[in-house]
Amino acid sequence: MRDLIDLWVGVQAWLFETLVSPVLFHFGLMAWYEPGYGAVEFVMLGVVQIAVIAIGMRYFERRWPLEKAGPDDSLVMVDRIYTVLNKLGLIPLAVFILTYPLVQEIELAVRSWGYMPPRLERLLPWIGDNALLSFLVYFVLYDFAAYWLHRGQHAFGWWWALHSLHHSQRRVTVWTDDRNHVIDDLLITLALVLFSQFVGVQPGEYVTILMVGRLIESWSHANVDMSFGWLGERLLVGPRFHRLHHALSTPAERHIQDHNFAPVFPIWDILFGTAIYDEKTRPTGVDDAAVDADNGRGWLVQQATVFGRFLRALLPRFRRRASVP
Amino acid sequence: MNRLSIAALAFSLVVSGAARADSVIILNSDEASYSILSRSARTEVVRLPVGREPHHLILSPDGKEVLIGSTATNELLALDIKTGERKRVVKDILDPYHLGFSPDGKWFVTAAYRLDHVDIYHADGFRLAGRIFIDGLPSHIAFDTESKTVFVTLQQSGRVAAFDLATQTLKWNMPVGNAPAGIVMLPDDKRLLVALTGEDRIVTVDPRDGAVKGSLQTGKGAHNFFPKGDGRHYFLSNRVEGVVTLIDTKDEPKVVASVRIPGGPDCMDITPDGRELWVTQRFLRRVAIVDMDTMKVVGSVPVGKSPHGVFMLKSTATVTAGAGLPVRAASTVSDRK
Repeated sequence: MRDLIDLWVGVQAWLFETLVSPVLFHFGLMAWYEPGYGAVEFVMLGVVQIAVIAIGMRYFERRWPLEKAGPDDSLVMVDRIYTVLNKLGLIPLAVFILTYPLVQEIELAVRSWGYMPPRLERLLPWIGDNALLSFLVYFVLYDFAAYWLHRGQHAFGWWWALHSLHHSQRRVTVWTDDRNHVIDDLLITLALVLFSQFVGVQPGEYVTILMVGRLIESWSHANVDMSFGWLGERLLVGPRFHRLHHALSTPAERHIQDHNFAPVFPIWDILFGTAIYDEKTRPTGVDDAAVDADNGRGWLVQQATVFGRFLRALLPRFRRRASVP
Repeated sequence: MNRLSIAALAFSLVVSGAARADSVIILNSDEASYSILSRSARTEVVRLPVGREPHHLILSPDGKEVLIGSTATNELLALDIKTGERKRVVKDILDPYHLGFSPDGKWFVTAAYRLDHVDIYHADGFRLAGRIFIDGLPSHIAFDTESKTVFVTLQQSGRVAAFDLATQTLKWNMPVGNAPAGIVMLPDDKRLLVALTGEDRIVTVDPRDGAVKGSLQTGKGAHNFFPKGDGRHYFLSNRVEGVVTLIDTKDEPKVVASVRIPGGPDCMDITPDGRELWVTQRFLRRVAIVDMDTMKVVGSVPVGKSPHGVFMLKSTATVTAGAGLPVRAASTVSDRK
């Protein structure tokens, strides 16, 4: 294990000291020295994730596909672009640059008021002796927040206008998870980073949670005819469980997408009454021509048109507010 | 060394109290833990949880405790000097990034790196005497011999500020160069050395008015000092260059030796026998061991993520000032032999 860690940090340090550090030093950006090193690790983790998806998960999709090959296969290409942009850190970098100052200001203000992020190890010292257990506890807390944010994405019209891009895909695959509008990414990241800071998640833990969580979420979008079994499906979100959340609504199942929100642990859907377990195979997408039109568009056009959709959903709300005496 | 041997070693260290003579504490800043290493076995004995984002640590004036600044939980965690185990928590110490006791042991000062202020406490009971807000990322601190002034580098604004300890007021605030970090007062009490992390040099600053009096090229990312212990030579970590240089401060400072330490070398400490320099390698999750006679790397110990502060559990005699009290500014010992 130590050899693996040495190899990993050796590559990370080499990349940083060869490519990033000289640039930061040259341009007088030494305040970004430590974050820069973290960013290199993020990109490396992204490469690993892409490899796991492209080689590992795709193997299962090819071997045991749920939906057979068809004319919608070409719609997946844009999702691959989303995945590469996200996993290699281009979108996260933009999100980080936009959110970091705000997160800093909020954190510093709260800290200067005397708030201290709790550490579970202080309440339950035995957790601190077990790194895996500690990680799991924080992972569950993180997922709890992500569950409610996901419900928010479906509950508010303006947020759905953004999030509908994710749902508009008719061909849901392992590449679909990253198909999101950058503003949606920004809002979710901001909320989860703040939540993580306030409950005391360490930066190192946050990266691991993000890495493991996003891989599980990529897998939950896989186009595979597989199940974790009765118990497994209740412990971890799998493709069958999450595919229902992407199901095309019908007159008989008008609110089918308001179920199975959990990103990683289905327990939240079970606890809050939003879980549906069944064996039906349903087509995926959104029953709205304007949203369905996202399909076939490239990354930039999707971002632009969804931004327009977002503004149209948002502006009437402002107008109504302005008219209140 | 297998797990059983390490467990046996850990047990024997704790039971016998031998940790004091043989242990090294490393702060793993990115994973909220500290490692206790065996100096002789050159291995990590145990890794324990500690606060959040711990960066620097310091010996208490009575020599009985090691105090760790837990920056994101606004507290100090006191470890037993004999065993390295946690003894108590000192609360309401805001963002204690860098910390130090004045030579007379009366003042305790912290540089709140992210919250942009310098706090001056009465060391007795850690009672806050004054909080001075100052822009520019307060980074590292040093004291004058008479315990009248504390000097603080301001990493972002490229300045050094001097504060009167008794009145907690600003004496001067002067530009010195790009991203000043480590700072140390030389034994003559007339020269401050300041490491410029945004450049490849250190500068000599006049402690009376902050005027820059000289400059010495050392290596890119000059960062932190540690005295060799002879009252004359100082080690300097150069983070970007990946080099630790030895500087002779007699007359005009000059580089007399260097050793390559990759992985962003940062804080340092010396073994009680004065033979080895231990250097944290932030990016490699390791601590490098340098033979001080040959200036060659002779060992490397794996630790946790982003290791920062390093501290040898040893007799306080090796870090005692003229007044008989230990003088430390978190891995930047004032050296007055």
